[in-house]
Amino acid sequence: MIRDGVRRAFRLALRRRDRWEHEVEEEIKLHLALRAEQAVARGATPDEAHQAAVKKFGPLVESRARLLEAARNREARMQRTEYLSDLRQDLTFAVRMLARDKGWTAVTVATLALGIAAATAVFSAVSNLLLHPIDYPGANRVVVVFQQPTKGNNTGVDVEILPGTQVIREWKAGAPSFESLEALASGQAELRTRGEPATLNVTYIEPTFPRFAGVRTMLGRMFTSAEVDAREHPAVLGEGIWRTRFGADTSIIGKAITLDDSTYTVVGVLPANLRTPRVGASPTDVWLPLDLRVDQMGATVVGRLKPGRDLAGAARELDSAYARSTSTGEVPFRAVVTTPATRVSVRDSLTMLGYAVGLLLLVACANVAHLFLARSTSRQRELAIRVALGAARGRVFRQLLTESLLLAVTGGALGVLGGWVGLKAIVGLRPSALTELELAHLDATTLAVALAVTLATSVVFGLVGAVQSARTSTHDALKSGGSRSATTGRGRGRRLLVVTEMALSAMLVVGATMLVRSVINLQRANLGFEPRGLYALTLTASKAHFANADARGQLLSTLAARLTTMPNVRSVALASTQPTWFAFRIGRLEIEGEPVPPGPATGFISDNVVGSGYFKTLGIRLVQGTAFTDTTLEGTQVIVNERFARKQWRGVSPLGKRLRIAVDGTESWLTVVGVAADAATGGATLSESTQPFLYFPAADSDAKAIMLRVDGATDLAQPIRTLVRSLDGQVTPKLESVEVQMSQAISAPRFVMLLLAVFTALALVLAAVGLYGVMAYSVAQRTREIGIRVALGATRTRIARGVVAGGVTLALVGSAVGITVALWGTKFIEHQLYGVAQRDVVSFVTTVVVLLASGVVACVVPARRALAVDPMTAIRAD
Amino acid sequence: MSRLPVLKGTLDLLVLRALSWTPMHGFEIVSWLERAGGGALDLEDSALYQAVYRLEERGLLEAEWGVTENNRRARYYKLTAAGRAFLRAETKNWMQYAETVTAILTAGKDARPAAAS
Repeated sequence: MIRDGVRRAFRLALRRRDRWEHEVEEEIKLHLALRAEQAVARGATPDEAHQAAVKKFGPLVESRARLLEAARNREARMQRTEYLSDLRQDLTFAVRMLARDKGWTAVTVATLALGIAAATAVFSAVSNLLLHPIDYPGANRVVVVFQQPTKGNNTGVDVEILPGTQVIREWKAGAPSFESLEALASGQAELRTRGEPATLNVTYIEPTFPRFAGVRTMLGRMFTSAEVDAREHPAVLGEGIWRTRFGADTSIIGKAITLDDSTYTVVGVLPANLRTPRVGASPTDVWLPLDLRVDQMGATVVGRLKPGRDLAGAARELDSAYARSTSTGEVPFRAVVTTPATRVSVRDSLTMLGYAVGLLLLVACANVAHLFLARSTSRQRELAIRVALGAARGRVFRQLLTESLLLAVTGGALGVLGGWVGLKAIVGLRPSALTELELAHLDATTLAVALAVTLATSVVFGLVGAVQSARTSTHDALKSGGSRSATTGRGRGRRLLVVTEMALSAMLVVGATMLVRSVINLQRANLGFEPRGLYALTLTASKAHFANADARGQLLSTLAARLTTMPNVRSVALASTQPTWFAFRIGRLEIEGEPVPPGPATGFISDNVVGSGYFKTLGIRLVQGTAFTDTTLEGTQVIVNERFARKQWRGVSPLGKRLRIAVDGTESWLTVVGVAADAATGGATLSESTQPFLYFPAADSDAKAIMLRVDGATDLAQPIRTLVRSLDGQVTPKLESVEVQMSQAISAPRFVMLLLAVFTALALVLAAVGLYGVMAYSVAQRTREIGIRVALGATRTRIARGVVAGGVTLALVGSAVGITVALWGTKFIEHQLYGVAQRDVVSFVTTVVVLLASGVVACVVPARRALAVDPMTAIRAD
Repeated sequence: MSRLPVLKGTLDLLVLRALSWTPMHGFEIVSWLERAGGGALDLEDSALYQAVYRLEERGLLEAEWGVTENNRRARYYKLTAAGRAFLRAETKNWMQYAETVTAILTAGKDARPAAAS
């Protein structure tokens, strides 16, 4: 049966179709000849005999056609059967061979599956955030537009300015690069319909925004530009609030709701999948009209470029459109047109995670490669025997290919499954700052690449054995010593692979350690203040109620005084911002006695206006000088943070120096009375919260929040609510735990760090498996040599030490290479580091220790095997 | 005796029967059928080859090129194990069928069911 198959397979090469057609003709010819001979034997003339034969055969042309058809069917069917039977045979054999090496098979399949799963899951998540955080139609042409000071910022603070409506009107009129430009503004409003007043997230949009975002109302309709122009008050509910607060009531359309002091008519409901372009923003509860005719500040702008237009060109267009409207023809703030993906927080660590995916995949491939290499060497004799026993080399080749493919397909299938599960887990664990992750789906390209790379690796290295067996003569391979010379070269190749793996892992370990340490620093004391037991109290009321800025401040001031007498409240302070807010002043920073920096007064400087007791309440240390002693001296004192002091005075004590934020130059000079330790109180993200910072003394009217330091886990929400209501019934207090806010603020980096840590551990395990494979293999290869050395008197400790030293050397070389690359590479994650130097010694030492340890662990089993070598058996074997 | 057309499906059975003795080439099969059937079967020679190819396709026969007594190259067919099993089963079916049909066709008017078996 097989021999038949082999023969056919060989004839196949000689144009199978010609062959069987020819055979049919030959068969017909023979038949007619034999039939004619029979007739001649009975006495017919040759002519008569031939005619009779043809007649008996049937109409020649049609019969031949029918026979050829039948023969074609026959050949096709047989080819299939043959192929399937060969395949079944190959598969059975492959399964048997793999089952014989259970450990090897398990490690290989696990390596493939882990590599594919981890790479696919993580890269799907990362690419979702980095490439498509917002899934508007024509996503690759969607851009976000904001402004930056044209002349830069001399205070060292990075700012993004949300353009005002005047600017947006000019932009809309003069930017042909854009297919559309949408302005949005966000805010909060108090809903006073149906039950307890609740603070809602409001987004003000143009009527065209849902269409821009590719979303339709799920109930009712969108408000129209006619309604906006007529200054009517239409409102569209978000799906979430419609379901929770309004019980998915379809009759809500046409009803009135009260937001703050205004009444709006609900005209529709927009589905929850309509998102604003602000990555990480909380879902919108109510969509209200944005009237661009009214001058106001701070709108988010998102647009869709026409196909083929570039970002820089679009920005230039916007600038010239804006410049035409200014008196000077210059723009104080230039437009920045960028992709939504660049606005994702923790972008750098995400990018690093993306590279880590590549590294892990490389490590996995390197592992698979030398797993196959090790196996092929140990199988060389088996293959040689099979060839010697008459197996065609092509057949052996095909056999090895089947084995590789079987492994790759099994690993791939498990990998896809694992990737899917992994991505589900990542999405499930996502922090609110990375809420866009919920849109993540298994990235087909990544999956294809991961599968292709691992498949190619398995096939290529799986066939190395076949090539080897074809090259070495059967005779050589069968001689027991014959394989030794052939393996030296590839032994070096394998060691190189392990060093590469170790180097890649070292890079990952360095990066991961740094990020882990950053996050630990963030969570711990290095915040510069103590978030535990710290609360921020703010008040909300209708706009009219606090129309006079003093009204809020006065109320807060009264409230603060009353709060100090409350049990468990240790200290209380007024402030203009709370730690997660980003507040700043605009002007030109001038230092007395230093040249005035050129340019318009459009510098930004983070600030907080604080009452007495602020530093004590937050637990911010004063490095030099004193806290504000007298807030009645408003306008003459200032406290700077260390970073500011370092930037402006470089080691000279700033006490007594004077500075001012100049707008028109008439402002009075402020004397530096203290230097506060750097504290992460300047914004919601890491980069904002560690900027140079100024503290100004507060008058009551500046206060917007009360900071409270509370003992223990007392719940003050209810008593405070009662207290506030007793002072002013129209005001709703909002008490937020700063500890919770801070943990949210670092949830994104912490999450990315977690992913990276898991990832690094995986890579390390894979690299250790690789090292183990190489050492185990080398011990197996050297069994005889070890036996001889033991017989000649080498002590066993010495043998074991030799094995471990071999492995550790590889690990050391690998980590040296990896660390060298990492020294250069860490600059890419510098922004993500907090309290960790770019050349952090701890991280680098940790890396070396971890790699050494994994090297030693990987050598334990091989070393024990070397110890167990019995000299007599080893020497006699073969 | 007039010539009998071969019932559809029975030709396969006849070919398998022919080959149950020894491998044969196409003309030998035809000749054997003619001899065994006493020349009573009405069959075009090409139909036989079609049947053979079909049987080969179904894996009931397999073919190999060989040499005739007169040193001519010919395609020899032989039964596979599957072909042999098929022949055995189908012969039994056919016999039963033929007996039954015969019994019915020859039965008297008052035949009892028992008489048929």
